[in-house]
Amino acid sequence: MKINDNCVGCGQCASFCKKGAIEVRGRARATDACVECGLCIPYCPVKAIEVPA
Amino acid sequence: MKTIVIGAGLGGLLSAARLSKAGHEVEVFERLPITGGRFTNLNYKGFQLSSGAFHMLPNGPGGPLARLLGEIGADVHIIRSEMTTVRVPLKKGNPDYGKGFKDISFSDFPSLLSYKDRMKIALLIVSTRKNRPAGNTLQAWIKAQVNDEWLIKFADSFCGWALSLKSDEVPVEEVFEIIENMYRFGGPGIPVGGCKGVIDALEAAILANGGKIHTGQEVSKIMVENGKAAGVLAESKEHKADLVISNLGHAATALLFREALSEKIHADYLKMLETLKPSAGIKICLAADEPLVGHSGVLLTPYTRRINGINEVTQADPKLAPPGKHLTMCHQYVAPENVKNLESEIQMGLEDLKEVFPGKKYEVLLIQSYHDEWPVNRAASGTDPGNETPFTGLYVVGDGAKGKGGIEVEGVALGVSSAMKKILG
Repeated sequence: MKINDNCVGCGQCASFCKKGAIEVRGRARATDACVECGLCIPYCPVKAIEVPA
Repeated sequence: MKTIVIGAGLGGLLSAARLSKAGHEVEVFERLPITGGRFTNLNYKGFQLSSGAFHMLPNGPGGPLARLLGEIGADVHIIRSEMTTVRVPLKKGNPDYGKGFKDISFSDFPSLLSYKDRMKIALLIVSTRKNRPAGNTLQAWIKAQVNDEWLIKFADSFCGWALSLKSDEVPVEEVFEIIENMYRFGGPGIPVGGCKGVIDALEAAILANGGKIHTGQEVSKIMVENGKAAGVLAESKEHKADLVISNLGHAATALLFREALSEKIHADYLKMLETLKPSAGIKICLAADEPLVGHSGVLLTPYTRRINGINEVTQADPKLAPPGKHLTMCHQYVAPENVKNLESEIQMGLEDLKEVFPGKKYEVLLIQSYHDEWPVNRAASGTDPGNETPFTGLYVVGDGAKGKGGIEVEGVALGVSSAMKKILG
């Protein structure tokens, strides 16, 4: 999952991730546990999560 | 009367509920899959964290938000916080929590001053109620009255907690309006169920009044005809309306009607948009088996590097955490120049907490930051430009259009109430 510079670090994505695969510290970062399911994408309020190619 | 509300945050839902109660046919469009904006719960490891706010109403069951909820018929139980305390060093000249501290009551803040300055404060408390200070920042005003570093630290922790600003950024008028509201309405309270308790009640009221709420539908344009709002374009579909209310703040709303804006006719509005500055902040959410704060109010921490204040919402509503656990939330102001250094700001906040809670066991659940497009407040407190836009029938509500003297969501409620007065008379 690619997270772009729009990210403010609000952590909303982390709370909807079913795999606990998002770490947040100033901004979000997908860990190795990410399965690219894309579930978090619509929950981002600043459109920071990009659809995997 | 057909009304469209853009954004299902607190301001949008309050407006939708109030207008649907008044007989308007109301439709709310929300681009996210969830409602509530920065005022709802996020379920994280069984804890009810929040999407923004601190599960707290700054003026509790007597405040503007509670009053508006009552007017709407939204059923929310708000528990008044027991107290507000301030953590101060044992010795005033030794401003380091590591060397020991005590907690004093908020209203006992003059006890740390010299006898002469205590007398001065006592007089000011009386005289400022009649002759409100004006034309200065809070900090400049304090410095002109009493020369004591403690008062600046105290003011900074309060402004940081309540407004996510420093005392040299807040107009003294705004602070005295806040103080007046504290007298009028009382101190903070916690809604049962947290922020989502309020959002659920509002949604229930809107639906009961025949209103509709669409999630996952983004408005891309506000249609304007002859200087009047005519509806919106959502997901490529036109929706006509007599009235449009935007919960997005003035800047983001203006992007939706930019085609209708004229640089000549709307020069003042465009100039105002450029002056708007969102406020930034960091929230550190802690889980603990034992209470860290120990009461349902706010603990202000003026002698840290970054953390301004902390609340422990499970003291009022234990269901906001798994059984036997406490949820403690810590707020820190972020200066505009430090928004690019969030990692080191967070590190300082975490170091502060070790000193504020020495020997206590806690887990850092989630660290949340807010700035720019998803800020603490879209308009920093004291700079809100009101509800009106250049077009008839188009109003802005929410944290970009707060009312005077309203801290956070109380300001949102005051802003909504004044917009409703304009619309409903």
